[in-house]
Amino acid sequence: MTTSTSARVEPVSTGSTPVFAARTRGLRKVYGRTVAVDRVDLDVPRGAVLGMLGPNGSGKTTTIRMLLGLVRPTEGEVELLGKALPDGVAQALPHVGALVEGPGFHPFLSGRENLRRVAAFEPLLASGDIKQAVEDALERVGLAAAAHRRYRGYSLGMKQRLGLASALLVKRKLIVLDEPTNGLDPAGTREVRKVIADLHEAGSTVVVSSHLLSEIEATCTHVAVLHRGTVVAQGELAELLHADSSSLLIVTPDVDDALNALRAGRISARPIEEGVRVELIGTTAPVVVQTLVNAGVEVHEARRHRTGLEDLFARLTEAEESEHNLSAVDTIEEGAR
Amino acid sequence: MSALVATRAPLGRQLRSELRWIVRRPRTVIGLASLCLVPILAGIGLWFAVDGDGPAGPGLAAIVAGNGLVLPVFTLFLALPLLLPLVGAIWAADGLAGEAQHGTLRGLMITPVGRLRLLGIKAFGVATMTLFAVTLIAFVGAITGVILFGGEGMLTLSGSTLSFGAALGRIVLTILLVTVQVWGVAAIAMAISACTEHPLVVMAATMAGVIVFAVLGIFSALDWLHPYLITSAWEGLSDVMRDPLPTEELWRSTALAGCYILIGLSLAAMRLATKDN
Repeated sequence: MTTSTSARVEPVSTGSTPVFAARTRGLRKVYGRTVAVDRVDLDVPRGAVLGMLGPNGSGKTTTIRMLLGLVRPTEGEVELLGKALPDGVAQALPHVGALVEGPGFHPFLSGRENLRRVAAFEPLLASGDIKQAVEDALERVGLAAAAHRRYRGYSLGMKQRLGLASALLVKRKLIVLDEPTNGLDPAGTREVRKVIADLHEAGSTVVVSSHLLSEIEATCTHVAVLHRGTVVAQGELAELLHADSSSLLIVTPDVDDALNALRAGRISARPIEEGVRVELIGTTAPVVVQTLVNAGVEVHEARRHRTGLEDLFARLTEAEESEHNLSAVDTIEEGAR
Repeated sequence: MSALVATRAPLGRQLRSELRWIVRRPRTVIGLASLCLVPILAGIGLWFAVDGDGPAGPGLAAIVAGNGLVLPVFTLFLALPLLLPLVGAIWAADGLAGEAQHGTLRGLMITPVGRLRLLGIKAFGVATMTLFAVTLIAFVGAITGVILFGGEGMLTLSGSTLSFGAALGRIVLTILLVTVQVWGVAAIAMAISACTEHPLVVMAATMAGVIVFAVLGIFSALDWLHPYLITSAWEGLSDVMRDPLPTEELWRSTALAGCYILIGLSLAAMRLATKDN
């Protein structure tokens, strides 16, 4: 194993409540010869809405399945709500609601019957509360009117909602949603976002996976970017989005003049191919531009360097296979860590 | 509040939910209805046979004449070699492989329900439904038999006639004996069911196994193997129709089925315990 001692799961609880709703260390899963997930160190802070971002096949679902104890890791450790898996599964899972790999229900039963069947197995539901819990969950995802219809006849969006409803049967500490907006129309997507926002407000921790950056940006406080089975970046969304935004690219033919002018103004800069790159430390973009213009430097263009996450994600999703992009990803990966 | 420490839903509630789920499947209802036809068809067939040739012919058909309570026993022995194993295999197939196919097994596991407990619940569902199916066949058989042939008592293979009460006792005994045999097959089907996501594979493999076992039972060169074949034990069950009741063969075949149940469920448990879902 490559994990260093400092990276192992240590008891991070303060008192009785763990700081992290879920953590993984050195997680690895191998199917035959395929390495599905490798060296995944994921931290899900309590109360966060963590977005797992990555293209299809990047290991999001496998990671989620290991988080829930459905799949045993080949290597590595999982801690769920402060309990180490697999031993703590029975204690942790009642407080976890999940929608994994699409909704799974029986086609010949109605939506309501399907939910009741799942509810009968929920440890935290008292037998007398099952009916009401099912109705509440159906109401919450907007399926109350179609609850009596057979699952067979549901649209993709309705199936997705029913899956969401089964995760919401009980008040959960952690909710894990694997691609919850798959197959939903814009209105459905907005509703899911609202459900996630409500859960967040109520103090639940949410893990939501998506291959859409816009989806993550709209709902999440934290983000973990997966690529080829490993986490290439993670942290607070705001932090990651602006991780690299402290530099400004100036396109100018007068590179030397520009550098001299900036140095005179005590602004750090270095030459690049098309002009200069300015680190925005102790200064702002308008000041930089004004300094250059005052010095008579021709400024053709001034733009912020693309933010780390966006850049990384764009490279991950656009033109996946080309070698050029792969090397670019590696560079970004180093920068993002 | 006890709910705060609960890590498992009440077992009774889970078992009820499992049965409810099985019974609500359209195929369960249709299957059980078709099973009811078996004793009716057998009864009508016998009625015509007896009518045509007279009651002089040897064997079970001759015994049936004027002696309708034999019909349920006769029908169960008729259904045991193929029909009942198929019924058991269908429920075993739906229980694990079918649920895995629909993604619902995963849903149950994350509620959570322990994997061993889940197997127990599934086994309970299959066992209960099998018992119900066998009882249903016997019940419809008894009604049909009494209507077609009359039901004062039961003529045994030994030539004596049992009273009505004793005859009912033999029918109940047959139900139990046959059910345990079907459980033996269904337990093996559960083991296969734990290994695949395709219910059809479970049914095909189970039925192929039953047929292969029956064929192996034919060859006298394989005499040494026959005591271990569940299908070979089924012939001995006709002892239930003798008077006085010889119990040795009945105990032996029941013990053999018990071994199949133990092996089947153990294999299923081993597979389920480590399976990725």
